[in-house]
Amino acid sequence: MYGATVDPIEDIRTDEEKLAEFEARIARGEKIEPGDWMPDEYRRQLIRMISQHAHSEVVGMLPEGAFITRAPNLRRKLILLAKVQDEAGHGQYLYHAAETLGATREEMLEALLSGKAKYSSIFNYPTLSWADMGAIGWLVDGAAILNQTMLAKCSYGPYARAMVRICAEENFHRRQGQDIVITLALGTPEQKGMMQDSINRWWWPTLMMFGPHDTDSPNSAVLIRWGIKTKTNDELRQTFVDQTVPELLALGLTIPDPELRYDEASGHWHFGEINWDEFWNVVKGNGPCNAERMAARRQAHEDGLWVREAMAAYAEKHQS
Amino acid sequence: MTDTQWPRYMVLHQERDDRPHPHAGTVHAPDAEMALLNARDVFVRRPDCVSLWVVRADLIFTRTQEELTLHPDWLESIQPRGDTAETYYVFAKLTQKGQFSHVGEVEAENLPHALKVALQKYPDTRGLAWWVFPVKTVLKSTPDDITAMFAPAAVKDFRDQANFHALSVLRKLMRKQEAE
Repeated sequence: MYGATVDPIEDIRTDEEKLAEFEARIARGEKIEPGDWMPDEYRRQLIRMISQHAHSEVVGMLPEGAFITRAPNLRRKLILLAKVQDEAGHGQYLYHAAETLGATREEMLEALLSGKAKYSSIFNYPTLSWADMGAIGWLVDGAAILNQTMLAKCSYGPYARAMVRICAEENFHRRQGQDIVITLALGTPEQKGMMQDSINRWWWPTLMMFGPHDTDSPNSAVLIRWGIKTKTNDELRQTFVDQTVPELLALGLTIPDPELRYDEASGHWHFGEINWDEFWNVVKGNGPCNAERMAARRQAHEDGLWVREAMAAYAEKHQS
Repeated sequence: MTDTQWPRYMVLHQERDDRPHPHAGTVHAPDAEMALLNARDVFVRRPDCVSLWVVRADLIFTRTQEELTLHPDWLESIQPRGDTAETYYVFAKLTQKGQFSHVGEVEAENLPHALKVALQKYPDTRGLAWWVFPVKTVLKSTPDDITAMFAPAAVKDFRDQANFHALSVLRKLMRKQEAE
């Protein structure tokens, strides 16, 4: 799907031969590129994952975008603006990667605007204070980076390359989030209280971002077999908890989980059970902000119509 | 599936004068001029760019190593027909993890012929996949564009994670707690 089609080459191998060679290539650590043979299910799973990921970047601009005008100083405002611009760019990188598999950008945008497409459940929670910019950067982007670092090694070349680019930029997002959390946590009692309230609200939705338990994740086995994912949802979630808990505790913040304790024997932090009813409820569209996010996205698309029309008119004028 | 969207343009992005133009991604735009502006917004938010090229994706001819290996007869069937030659850019993906990057130029009569000539001209280049497209179809930024298009990103140092000291603050706090 890269470009010009000139008398396509006919592949005379049987499906079994193709699949065996495809899996052997993945086992050797090779990258599958557009034009290479791939099973329909590999293509389908990738389009599903990459387009959801792209939608998440696009919708992910909204919770933070609301705070650009409310940043406490000019530097913080520039940083937040730059971060939201990055998310827009990440959406574009990912739509491009999905396009190499035969999905069109138009049909993906249509799926998002019509409400048919899914995106990360985390963005259906409201941003209530400036401290949430810290919590999102540290927790939400921190969780996303773990997933994206894994995907940067995935077997599909264009997706892996988009991820390498995204990971480099996401590290800035996480750092600026940590910077906000540290500033507030070490600030006045009111600032620290604001930060704690934010952690209390974002902790559990962040753990839900990694998705259902491995036992309830129908796609996991095939995604791992074909080198799209190399770690399971639960493995990534545990890595996140182990990494984040000691840092938050060092700042004098607490984590809203009475079951949380360090387990000497395993070397991991044990944490309580996630409220899966809440997770599925948000995924099905009934979270606190699902309707608001979709309305804002559609409004933005409609508001941009005159720009698209002007660009098309300009191009037409210069062609004639 | 209806496709009424604007054409896709491939974006090639040079980080320094002495480096080739590797592939960055694609943008959609109604014309090449707008594609170049979109490419700047999407791919040059950080100061690592001196030149951008855009070329319509549907003008790029591509073959993977897998295709060429499985069908050696296809390459043999490509013969010059005595048509007028023009210059084509040759790009290849050289490593499993790498991007497509600029290999060189060839004179050829059409797209498949350009690929055949490229494989002969660059026998030591072990491309995992190849692109060829006519030089005349590429729109390039010029050195005059640098000030307006790429220089502003250079002062936005806050986009670089190295300018945040969160990690060292956290480590210091954790060491202090361990000591207590």
